[in-house]
Amino acid sequence: MADDLKIPLLEELEKGPWPSFVTDIKSVAGKSEMAADLLRQLEKSYEDKRGYWKHGGLVGVRGYGGGVIGRYSALPEEFPGVSHFHTVRVNQPSGWVYTADALNGIMDIWDEHGSGLTNMHGSTGDMVLLGTRTEELEPTFLALTQKGWDLGGSGSDMRTPSCCIGPARCEYACFDTLALTYNLTQEYQDELHRPMFNYKFKIKVSGCPNDCTAAIARSDMAIIGIWKDDIKVNQEEFAKYVDSGMDVQGIVVDMCPTSCISVDGKTIDIDDSNCVKCMHCINKMPKALAVGDEKGAAIALGAKAPIVDGALFGSIMVPFIELEEPYEELHDLIERIWEFWDEHGKARERIGEFIERVTLARFCEEVGLDPIPQMVTHPRENPYIFYEEYFAEEGEGSEE
Amino acid sequence: MATDVERKTDIGPPHYEQFLHPVMKANYGKWLYHDSIAPGVLSHTGPEGTIYTVRAASPRLASTNFIRNMTKIATDFCDGYLRFTSRNNVEFLTDKEENVDKIKAALAELKIPVGGTNNAISNVVHTQGWVHCHSAATDASGLVKVVMDELADYFTSENLPAKTRLAVACCLNMCGAVHASDIAILGVHRTPPVIDHSTLPNLCEIPTTVASCPNNAIKPTSIEGKTTVKVDEDKCMYCGNCFTVCPSMPLSDPLNDGVSIWVGGKISNARTEPMFTKLAVPYLPNNPPRWPEVTDAVKKIVDVYAANARPFERLGEWIDRISWARFFELTGFEFTKYHLDDFRWAGTTYKRSLQNRY
Amino acid sequence: MAVSVEQLADEMFAIVEESAGKRKLKAGDLQKAMAAKHGDEVSRKDVKAGIKLLIDSGRCVYGYFGGSSIELPRTEGAANE
Repeated sequence: MADDLKIPLLEELEKGPWPSFVTDIKSVAGKSEMAADLLRQLEKSYEDKRGYWKHGGLVGVRGYGGGVIGRYSALPEEFPGVSHFHTVRVNQPSGWVYTADALNGIMDIWDEHGSGLTNMHGSTGDMVLLGTRTEELEPTFLALTQKGWDLGGSGSDMRTPSCCIGPARCEYACFDTLALTYNLTQEYQDELHRPMFNYKFKIKVSGCPNDCTAAIARSDMAIIGIWKDDIKVNQEEFAKYVDSGMDVQGIVVDMCPTSCISVDGKTIDIDDSNCVKCMHCINKMPKALAVGDEKGAAIALGAKAPIVDGALFGSIMVPFIELEEPYEELHDLIERIWEFWDEHGKARERIGEFIERVTLARFCEEVGLDPIPQMVTHPRENPYIFYEEYFAEEGEGSEE
Repeated sequence: MATDVERKTDIGPPHYEQFLHPVMKANYGKWLYHDSIAPGVLSHTGPEGTIYTVRAASPRLASTNFIRNMTKIATDFCDGYLRFTSRNNVEFLTDKEENVDKIKAALAELKIPVGGTNNAISNVVHTQGWVHCHSAATDASGLVKVVMDELADYFTSENLPAKTRLAVACCLNMCGAVHASDIAILGVHRTPPVIDHSTLPNLCEIPTTVASCPNNAIKPTSIEGKTTVKVDEDKCMYCGNCFTVCPSMPLSDPLNDGVSIWVGGKISNARTEPMFTKLAVPYLPNNPPRWPEVTDAVKKIVDVYAANARPFERLGEWIDRISWARFFELTGFEFTKYHLDDFRWAGTTYKRSLQNRY
Repeated sequence: MAVSVEQLADEMFAIVEESAGKRKLKAGDLQKAMAAKHGDEVSRKDVKAGIKLLIDSGRCVYGYFGGSSIELPRTEGAANE
């Protein structure tokens, strides 16, 4: 089959040093008519400069409203192999860690039940099995669950939480990102698999302010590691950086955003009361400097891509929270947020847009957060204040 | 299909601990520091020893063959342990330093580049494009391939001023979250949806469709006795939000769809706060299979940045320092009316001081 | 519990049937309808259990166009059958 693909445009993408997805898809096109027809349809897209996929699909596995994305070719007669080309989202392990055996097991399932194509991984974090027929969905699901895997989220549900490698391989981790992500995923299986929100709700978990999962930009709830006390300094190791000829003044001292570092010869001094935990100095000298001991996370709400009302970064709601199992405080907060958003949010209104509509002040009141200066870049600049306290006419007493 | 097995639901993902290399398990939460050994090779050390990481590129759109090739390397040299990064790289994990070169050799045989660490261009976060999406204005995998063919040397070296993160999204939905990358390539539509009034009344809910438009350009109307919608085309900014809720309003337009380029976003808090990307080039044509106009523009940005930024200055930080006026001057990109914001809070982007460079 | 999960499922099924072809209902719409009808006698958890029953039994399915809804099973409009 692969030799009669007739895909001259796509074959231009087999040239060059970067790994070619065309070569890779071709490698399974001999055994998978789905992969072969995917290439043929894609070639037509390259000729015509447009996509050929229909919109939407009401497919899934029994009982779940998330985890499967229906997809059908708009040209099923021409490309029967991709007439159905549904996506199965498999919930990845925390930190995207695998063993060869575990991954090979999933590949066996996918060679048998699907196109043999995947995304490692999708934008939300799931392992994406790309392309299968409706009648293969239940068998795929059954085979996956027998090997201990389950589906992730899609639609108006809690999307599959994802996290950085955290304490499994990083000295910056301020809490156990893997354990928390596993805990939230298990705690909210119902919310993950059965869409019951106004819109999607993404949770991303990063162990430090470097934010390797891009939580601040990509998740409705970003949980990002931070510490409260002093940066730990190893002066001996610092001296070695100086001895190595590193331009400590230019690269570290001068680039500190709050100018809180000073160096005297081979000794470094940090004014931690002015440190904003940006990570720059620690990133540059990981042997000499380390995150502190009083560790936890900050929680930011509301990040999203542009649809509907413009892109947002997350806004800090909780500047510091300790995160230890069983995470009751965090569960409580999440549930209060969901309840208020459920009750008062509009259809397709993400939490970030919701907070701006109902106002941050009311949101804090309803979910039980105190207004604090850490929530804003500066206090309001306009005088249009909705005063709620005032004095009544004399004799009637004051009112709150 | 086996019918004698019990159907399980809501079991969640397998516990990660079973997938951790023993050295990672032993050092869990106790790591002391890391070292950069070579581009694409890191070591992390804790009281219980050192783990070596070899980071390799992947096309993200990967076949079971590709993954089996990766698991074979992991089996041969890493006791079976591997992981993926948030930017679609594959990482091989071993406690044996002598295996690092063997892993690199095995990857070289498969023509898979090793790199993406420190001041490199790491792998590209991207979306599905024409490969799998109904609303794509361009292809994502193809764009990533041609751009990274051009920039591959920046992946395998660490010679840029700072880390540089690229992303591709094939429409304004931005599943690839390109809005906070150093350089973002974004597929754009440029014409209003074409309404199929024969299917709309059956497929779409009118109030939801009307409400989907950020600019209130959609209104209910009646055609031959059936309720449908009309679009005020002067107000339409081609975002595709209506198409997301209503399949009868496709925007795909081969003549006009194309690509825009955005720069200067970042995620990390290092030095400066996270930043959104800003518009550099409003439109380049879809010119598959190799999109030469797009690769030229991206290469231009990277080259100008590499030549002018200070050490450890991210692209957005560099532009903030030198000014946007100079950025357009240095890159030669034309500054147009499209660069002036006209959406929500547009006024916050107007210059309201005399502090310009002359 | 004054109202059984089965009864909630039946009542919600009637609402879904009633609005079929007119309005796509979200889980939240059904929550609000049940809360309006039964007040404190039913909890959010009961309603969730009722919805789960509807879906697991195949009487209703989840739909998705931009947002998720609970609908009567039907042949997918986009399907290539």
